[in-house]
Amino acid sequence: MNLERVVFGLFIVLALALNVVFIIGDIENPAHHSVWVLTTSIFVSLIATGLKLGDRTQVGAILLATSLVADMLLITSRVIWIVVADESGIPSPNDMVSIISWTGGALVANLISVTVLVSDALMSRH
Amino acid sequence: MAKTSDLNRVTAVVLRFTRGPILVMIAVYAIGIMGMALMPGMDADGNPQSMSLFHAFYFFTYTATTTGFGEIPYSFSDEQRLWTILCLYMGVIAWLYAIGSIIKLVQNPYFLNAVAERQFVRSVRHIWTPFYVVCGFGDTGSLLTRGFSDHDMMAVVIDGDAERIKALALRDYRVKMPGLRADASVPNHLIGAGIQHPMCRGVVALSADEELNLKIAVMTRFLNPSAQVICRSTSPRHQKQLNALQGVTVINPFELFAAQVRLTVSAPEVHTLSEWFVGAHDARLDTPPSMRKGRWILCGYGRMGSCIQRQLATQDIETVVIDPEIKDAPDSSQTVYAHADAETLAELDIKNAAGLVVGTDSDTKNLGILLTAQQFNTDAFLIVRQNQHENELAFSAANVDLIMQESLVTARNILLRLIAPAMQDVIDHLEASDPRVTAHLVRKLKQGFGEQAPHLLSITIGKDTPAIEQVAELGLDVCIADLIRKPCDLNSPYVCIPLALTRGGNTTVLPEHAETVLPGDVLLFCATEGDAKRVISTLKNPQRLSFLITGYEEPTGYFFKWLTQRLPSAAKLARRYED
Repeated sequence: MNLERVVFGLFIVLALALNVVFIIGDIENPAHHSVWVLTTSIFVSLIATGLKLGDRTQVGAILLATSLVADMLLITSRVIWIVVADESGIPSPNDMVSIISWTGGALVANLISVTVLVSDALMSRH
Repeated sequence: MAKTSDLNRVTAVVLRFTRGPILVMIAVYAIGIMGMALMPGMDADGNPQSMSLFHAFYFFTYTATTTGFGEIPYSFSDEQRLWTILCLYMGVIAWLYAIGSIIKLVQNPYFLNAVAERQFVRSVRHIWTPFYVVCGFGDTGSLLTRGFSDHDMMAVVIDGDAERIKALALRDYRVKMPGLRADASVPNHLIGAGIQHPMCRGVVALSADEELNLKIAVMTRFLNPSAQVICRSTSPRHQKQLNALQGVTVINPFELFAAQVRLTVSAPEVHTLSEWFVGAHDARLDTPPSMRKGRWILCGYGRMGSCIQRQLATQDIETVVIDPEIKDAPDSSQTVYAHADAETLAELDIKNAAGLVVGTDSDTKNLGILLTAQQFNTDAFLIVRQNQHENELAFSAANVDLIMQESLVTARNILLRLIAPAMQDVIDHLEASDPRVTAHLVRKLKQGFGEQAPHLLSITIGKDTPAIEQVAELGLDVCIADLIRKPCDLNSPYVCIPLALTRGGNTTVLPEHAETVLPGDVLLFCATEGDAKRVISTLKNPQRLSFLITGYEEPTGYFFKWLTQRLPSAAKLARRYED
């Protein structure tokens, strides 16, 4: 067991989980999606990226890349939210669909991160 | 590389063969087109109108190639039709002549040779893995090439015999082996075969022609002084000349064969082990059949026989030599001037001899002597020499204790010299030391390998092992045990047994596992195929190697590096988790 692995694994899986939490629900209904969850998942994903900085191994490079992709997509969807929200802070159903599809992209990147992490743990045999 | 010959030759041959047809075609086309454009014609309304030059060219093109689209754009006048007849015959004949010349060209042996050589040079130039040049693709050459293929090494073959190169093309090697029919003593051909190529590791001269081998060795010394040269030679005069050249290893098949016979007789267990190491298909890690002490009978006393007799004499083994023509009889052996027939063998009391070496240079004779000897129902150890590789089936049907093939012995020896140079030291060491050392090693190997085939792994510490360099920068010493440790169980090693450690020209056989490795060391391991790959991947992965040495994983990211440096307690915590 390795402390760095534990901490990084925690953050990357948490990022994936929060991503799922945000997406689940009716895609057009703003009431089903919490902006707080989206914001938290951006922070968690950024921390996971920070933990991988300076890692010169092959697997480290892939994880850095995938978590950077997740960061970018999540931030994009958060920016869209800010731009399209009305005075009460709620986007229209059409805009909600666009926000959810951007986060869907981040979900794919996070899934790849977790797959790589798990397969590396299984391959290293110790 | 090879700027002079191949490219220019192909172009030259093509030009020479196509010059005539091209000139004829141009002349015929010019006459036909111009004539057609000059002939008076008329358009649909009956106005006088000649064909334009472009239309004439279009018309001539489909007429000369017998396509015949008809009279385009208007119906022809009689003058035009007359000229058309001329155009048709001229054009068709010119084309037939051109096609005939092209067919003659592609069948021309010089052209085919030039094209083959060009393709060969091009494929050699594009090699990106280390390779050897093998000159001579006879029995030994083909066995050696097979050996290279089994070890995923490339070889480039040159042989003067076209049939042998055809045979090479039909082999099912695991790697591509380019071959060229050419005289290897011509420097141009050697260069074409890649002896100046940066990936060329060495040249092996195996032809039966002593002069040719000598020439190849000398040329290679001049053309690429850093290439290793291995040269077959049986004549003392040539050997002397070859020995004077630096960096040339002389291989005498007779001496090698005789040394192998000596090893079999004096240390059978080491011989079995060495056969197993080189991957002989019938070799088992079992104790070899026991041999009686006593007198050995040698049939045949030519160049080979005398070598065997000398080698056995060094081990104080009593020998009797049978041969109808013995030129200079040995001092240390009884000699019988006779054919090895039943009468002679009975006289020599074969029933009580320790063994019989049937070693004449004729396979028929050897098989005959074998049959005679077997009539005595003797339990003497029978060793027979097989000269021709193609007689393999006949020999394996004969019930003998050991078949030895000169070409196989030579090919294996050369292969070992190239891929695992320390192996000979290991064998010599085991032969000289107590049989218990070998027995112990065999037990260990048997336990680790079971029925799996061994894989020899020669590793030079340095360039090929980036992990060791990087770990050394962290201040860690690497010992042999660390390299072969299993990551899943740090206390047990892979099936990868260190056989020798060469440092500064000295070889330590069976080095201690605790020995620290230094840059420039050459390590020889014997491993199963899978574990060899795993050990190689350890040598390239610094994280894994440092884990194998220290037992914990170093942090990889900036944050954890900083954290463990700032807070020693965090480092301790991290390390405690590992246990």
